[in-house]
Amino acid sequence: MNQWIIASEFAEVAVSLDLDANGPRLRLEDLRSGHVRHLDALELESIAWAPDERLRELMDPSAGRWSDRAGDA
Amino acid sequence: MTVQYSELIQPERVHGSLYTDQDIFAEELQRIWYRTWVCVGHVSEVARPGDYVRKKVASQDVIMTRSKDGEVSLLLNRCAHRGNLVCEDQRGNSSTFRCPYHGWTYRNTGEMLGYPYNQGYGGKGKLSLNLGRVPRVDTYQGFVFASFAADGPSLKEHLGAAAGELDRLARLSPEGEIELTAGWLQHRAKANWKLLVENETDGYHPQFVHGSVFSVTGSHIGTLYSDKSAAVTRDLGGGHSENDLRPEFRKMEPMNWFGTSEARVPDYVAKMRALHGEQAEEILIEGAPHVMVFPNLFVAEISVFMINPVAVDETVQNVTAVQLKGAPEMNRRLLSQCIGSVGPAGMLLADDSEMYERNQRGVAARVPEWLDIRRGAHRERIDENGFRIGAANDETGMRGFWSHYRSLMEGKAR
Ligand code: FES
Ligand SMILES: [Fe+2]
Repeated sequence: MNQWIIASEFAEVAVSLDLDANGPRLRLEDLRSGHVRHLDALELESIAWAPDERLRELMDPSAGRWSDRAGDA
Repeated sequence: MTVQYSELIQPERVHGSLYTDQDIFAEELQRIWYRTWVCVGHVSEVARPGDYVRKKVASQDVIMTRSKDGEVSLLLNRCAHRGNLVCEDQRGNSSTFRCPYHGWTYRNTGEMLGYPYNQGYGGKGKLSLNLGRVPRVDTYQGFVFASFAADGPSLKEHLGAAAGELDRLARLSPEGEIELTAGWLQHRAKANWKLLVENETDGYHPQFVHGSVFSVTGSHIGTLYSDKSAAVTRDLGGGHSENDLRPEFRKMEPMNWFGTSEARVPDYVAKMRALHGEQAEEILIEGAPHVMVFPNLFVAEISVFMINPVAVDETVQNVTAVQLKGAPEMNRRLLSQCIGSVGPAGMLLADDSEMYERNQRGVAARVPEWLDIRRGAHRERIDENGFRIGAANDETGMRGFWSHYRSLMEGKAR
């Protein structure tokens, strides 16, 4: 399994291609917390096409991991 | 402040306290470093969207960024929440910065994106606290300049005749652009910043301070500053000055300004001829400038320096090799010459550093109180373009520096 680490001073994520399911997926692992997210082809396409505004919303720390709604994310 | 600069700065001498007085240093920060245009870097250091590098303007910690739409910004490295440093690495790539203290997140244009657990602020979007931005940012030939004053002379006005010297540097590239991508060295000197600035275009010292290097390497640089030299020191106005070595280079073959010959850089010379036609000969003979751009950018032909004052008796000099876009053959040589002359064990910079520091220790002595800058005052001339010039080893550049410094410190110029 090829794995790349994309890291900056702000975040560290291991990126790999996961072939365990019936079709390929991109596996993202937040190396600081161990949290994992899989993205399928259509999800990736959507990110590639998402307007900057949508990505910016995702970057708001209170959008997920640090929201007031405990247990979200 | 009660310092009478007209008493401390006279046409042919300057007072020693200008290099040692804490109050004067503090006033310089306000009147020069946080007001006039200061060079902070080069656009090529943040070539891709999301690229960032950390820089200094005196003690201000500044982040130079490039946004998605290509705009270069200078942000202050201070979280709008409780003032923590937002960014720690010297360089990286990120479209957003997240403060490590409480997670406040900003776009790389400085605009706030959000803050964790937003109910504490009444919900999402209630705060709009952005990172500070340097009020004015402008570029010339890719050099990025900052001014902390919201208004004042434009960068073009500030650069005046020095702009032409940066043009001369850029035209040495077959693509008309330089890049500062070789990485920076930092030299810390226990000396006042003005001693470094004065030394940059002081043509009187090379044969003494660098004599041993010239003799072991057989370099012809020393003779460029001898009494027989046709080179001149030019006061370009605005505190800028140069050693114009072209009158000597014109007596030599193309590429001799760089201590090399056409045969050793054939691809480069061919590209330049293809681009410039007949004018290429003149460019290849005249070479790069030796210019001090007030207050902190120094181009020493093959190396670029940015001077940053830390304290009244401490200065960091950042150095990198000039790289010419589209000239890989030249770039390797430019880099190795730069390392040899001003690198960590660089032969020229080691000599100069010793002089700045000795100078600083010397000026602490109480008597005599003055430093003499009269050399060549009696033989100064005005050249065909109206600039004051002196012989290669005269102190014309220093006098130009001090008269501009004085008008800034007295609030008569900006
Ligand atoms: S100081 Fe930066 S988030 Fe609190
Ligand atoms: Fe020197």
